[in-house]
Amino acid sequence: MTQTLTAKDSKSTAKAVSRPKSGGHNAERLAYLFVLPALALVVVFRIIPLIWGLGYSFTDYDGMSAPRFVGLDNYIGIAHDPVFLDSLVNMLILLATLPIWIGLPLVLAILIHQGVPGGKLFRAVYFFPAVLSSVIVGAIFNVLLRYDGSFNLFLKAMGFSAVDWLGNSSTALFSLIAVQLWATFGMSLLIFIAGLSTVSAEMLEAAKLDGAKLLQTWWYIVIPSIRPIIEFAAVVTTIGMLTSMFGLIYVLTAGGPGTSTILPEFLIWLEQGKMNRPGYASAISMVLFLMMAGLAAIQIRIMSRNADI
Amino acid sequence: MKTTNRILRAGTMLATALVMTLGVATSAKADTTLTVWDWKSGDPTTAPYFEKVKTDFEAAHPGVTVKFVMQPHDQYYTLLGTAIAASQGPDVVLVHGGSQAKERIAAFSKLDDKIADIKTRVAGWDEFAGPDGSAYAVPISIQGLAVYYNKELYKKAGLDPEATPKSWAELEAICAKLKAAGTTCFALGNKEGFGADFFYSAAAANALTAEQQAAWTAGDLKWSSPEIKAIVQKWVDTQKDGWYAEGANSTAKFMDEYQSFERGENANTIGLLSDVAHWKEFDEFLEPQNVGVFVMPPVTASVNDKLRMPLAGGIGYAVTKFSPNQDLAVELAKSFTATPAMQVFFEAAGAVPSDTAVDTSKVESPSAKIVLGSLSDGAPLLHNNTSTAETEEWHRQSQMLFTGETTVDKAVARLDEVQAQAKKK
Amino acid sequence: MAAVQTREKRILWILSIPMALLALSAVYPVYFTINAALKTRKGYVLDRFGLTTDPTFVNFSQAWNQSRLSEYFTNSVVVTVGAVIALLVVASMAGFALAILRFRGRKIIFITILVSLMIPVQVVLVPFYRTMIGLNLIDSRPGLIIAYTAFFLPFSVYLMTAFYARLPRELFEAAQIDGANLLRVWWHIMLPMGKPALVTLGILNTLYCWNDVLISLLVLQDQRTLMVGIAALRGEYTTNVPLLAAGICLAAAPIVLIYVIFQRQIVNGIAVGAVKG
Repeated sequence: MTQTLTAKDSKSTAKAVSRPKSGGHNAERLAYLFVLPALALVVVFRIIPLIWGLGYSFTDYDGMSAPRFVGLDNYIGIAHDPVFLDSLVNMLILLATLPIWIGLPLVLAILIHQGVPGGKLFRAVYFFPAVLSSVIVGAIFNVLLRYDGSFNLFLKAMGFSAVDWLGNSSTALFSLIAVQLWATFGMSLLIFIAGLSTVSAEMLEAAKLDGAKLLQTWWYIVIPSIRPIIEFAAVVTTIGMLTSMFGLIYVLTAGGPGTSTILPEFLIWLEQGKMNRPGYASAISMVLFLMMAGLAAIQIRIMSRNADI
Repeated sequence: MKTTNRILRAGTMLATALVMTLGVATSAKADTTLTVWDWKSGDPTTAPYFEKVKTDFEAAHPGVTVKFVMQPHDQYYTLLGTAIAASQGPDVVLVHGGSQAKERIAAFSKLDDKIADIKTRVAGWDEFAGPDGSAYAVPISIQGLAVYYNKELYKKAGLDPEATPKSWAELEAICAKLKAAGTTCFALGNKEGFGADFFYSAAAANALTAEQQAAWTAGDLKWSSPEIKAIVQKWVDTQKDGWYAEGANSTAKFMDEYQSFERGENANTIGLLSDVAHWKEFDEFLEPQNVGVFVMPPVTASVNDKLRMPLAGGIGYAVTKFSPNQDLAVELAKSFTATPAMQVFFEAAGAVPSDTAVDTSKVESPSAKIVLGSLSDGAPLLHNNTSTAETEEWHRQSQMLFTGETTVDKAVARLDEVQAQAKKK
Repeated sequence: MAAVQTREKRILWILSIPMALLALSAVYPVYFTINAALKTRKGYVLDRFGLTTDPTFVNFSQAWNQSRLSEYFTNSVVVTVGAVIALLVVASMAGFALAILRFRGRKIIFITILVSLMIPVQVVLVPFYRTMIGLNLIDSRPGLIIAYTAFFLPFSVYLMTAFYARLPRELFEAAQIDGANLLRVWWHIMLPMGKPALVTLGILNTLYCWNDVLISLLVLQDQRTLMVGIAALRGEYTTNVPLLAAGICLAAAPIVLIYVIFQRQIVNGIAVGAVKG
């Protein structure tokens, strides 16, 4: 029948082009063939396992004997599990720091864009920690942040008193977040630098002629014009926050002191492995997934818009 | 139409090629291969032992290949869990004695009728036994807790380096004297909660009678009982009395705590008998004549005339139920305790072997002699008989007791809850 | 005007000081790792930070030979290269269809792929492993390549879709009018046009695949990848930091080398896909 091609870009003047073709449903069928490999991989290796895991969460599965249906027992258990509730609080604290994760690289990117001395070198070097695995990052900060580590030696030399960064419930989570931020900000930085390069020079020049101050130019002109890129970076960063902190937690704090650095991701690992309770771990996973799905809805909206779908 | 056909054809060819590659990659299995999972075989100090086991076993069983797969320790039980859940994976697996082994026996083969020939020569079976007393793994090492001390620092503080404490009061006196001399009494790392594990296990060894130990294992002796609560109280008191350096909660027991002991920054540490943090390692740093060893006295009156060292089977090999080569796998698990191999294990790694026939007479280290001499009369290792859920909760509570976020009363009440839930199953 | 400019310049100069410190902190790990790798175990315990006075290469040879990293190296290269190629092909095909072609269920498919982005690996561990066994993909390099492709695909598809959606449509329409079939359009137009985004994805996915531990641990239980070998070096008691550091040096070397050589392309290319053209 017809193969329909709609102009995706609203700015584009091209109208939908309909071209009759002899092959009937051919084009549409071909389109399916193009997405099929991606869809098949995702469904088989991610969606089906997710549904499978949902099934486990209603059982007392221990990995050895056959799973027995226990209804909502696991979910009721979770609701009363102080460790799980603490991990949720920690997750919310982590998410609340998102503005820093975006703000810091953004400010640095703007400075580099403005031609800060040594900018090119900084740009190259800042990405370095992102290349390293969390094993080595953890090993290093383990030594730096210990009570008798270099950080505290420095503080003491400056006349401050030492802080037990990783051994104190009020500082451990923030230390962990700071290390992860340090290790990953290079990625957002590069994204922002690339984004800034698209801001038109005329616009900046016009602002300058209007007598706009540096700060005003950034705030009213530069930042709004790269908003989609900031949103994109926020999406990527949030996903990273929720799914890739395990390595650092394991090496730096092991979840302690108390429950102060246990994130859901780490708790799932604990229940699944050491505690050998896959059923219970699945229930935690599902709750985590549902909470992420709420977040995901926002993200999907942003991403869909970015992709013009 | 043509295009569709062409693409379909290309797709089919691609898929066929892929399937064929996969088939080739997975089907090539001529002889029998026994896969062994562990977290140690690549370690330079233990490698000679594993090499010996492999060589000897393959020589005795032509056509059989032994393959060691060393897993990262942090993911070990997660991986073992997935393998067990899928009923596919290793034939023989290394497990820790105590709750880690006991909570997984449903996945292991019962060994009772196959180990008669080694049952008496090898020690440490209890830690791998099921509720009915059957054996589910072959122990290869003896693990336990001993207090190692730095004689040099004792002398500096005006203490007699050969006079070891026999009671809690004597230990307190030693710490007071060390403190007066400006020396930290104990090295302590409690980042993962292991420091607290070792503390209560060492302190309980001579405080509980055999009946009380059994009651603990069954979950009848509670955390809030006077005996256990006294230990939890001392955990807090010793910190208040300044036994440890600042920052215990951020110090990893392995190996930050031990490395600070090795640097001579503190006088005592609760160490192990096998693997690491043991006599062989401390001798290397502090010189054998400077390393002393004693048994941690109980915080209350001792129930034994002579203090007994807390020790038990350390790690051992189990055979998975799903292994298609049951008999061979059992043979292999047993061969890990063959005396010639065990001899290598002892000499190269300094592990205390489960095999009592190993010749240890040539060892010269003074602390090793004391450790080896106390093997025949040990006390149970309490933390081995604690459920994993309790252990994890104790790790957290012990840290919060140090930061002051909780009190002894609240901590034992919470631990009672976890204990009741864990033993209910 | 001139006064304002010099003032701006001065501010930038002052701000460059903290930025230089941050840069210094970013290269510190490199110094620390190499320095530690050159120490003996005992030397490291006694002095963790000091510059090594008596460098030894024992750790490197031990990591390379005894810990079998040399074997694992090949695996890592094969699997990473395979997975990255597969990812780029599959993602650009899907991105092309989702962004440009119109067909029923397009949005649902796109959302399905995005949703899978939010599933943490830990969540699907056991079912995923059983799926791999069911498909006979355990213990084979193609199995790991497929697993990596599946796990890192969602983000790649998203990025390609977003990128293609911003290309001027005239390109595609012109080709269409010329009667070129879709496969040829994809091959001759979409792939070359997608180069900036493909470069970005190539780099990111190389990093992900090379540094992955968990998926590789599950799938390749016989033949290890390099990072798994390194992770195993950590052992139960994280005893031997110098050996670990030597292993990390060896494992990170290729990545760092690629980064240094292609620094300009990486820095320029890494985000192009995200930028509205």
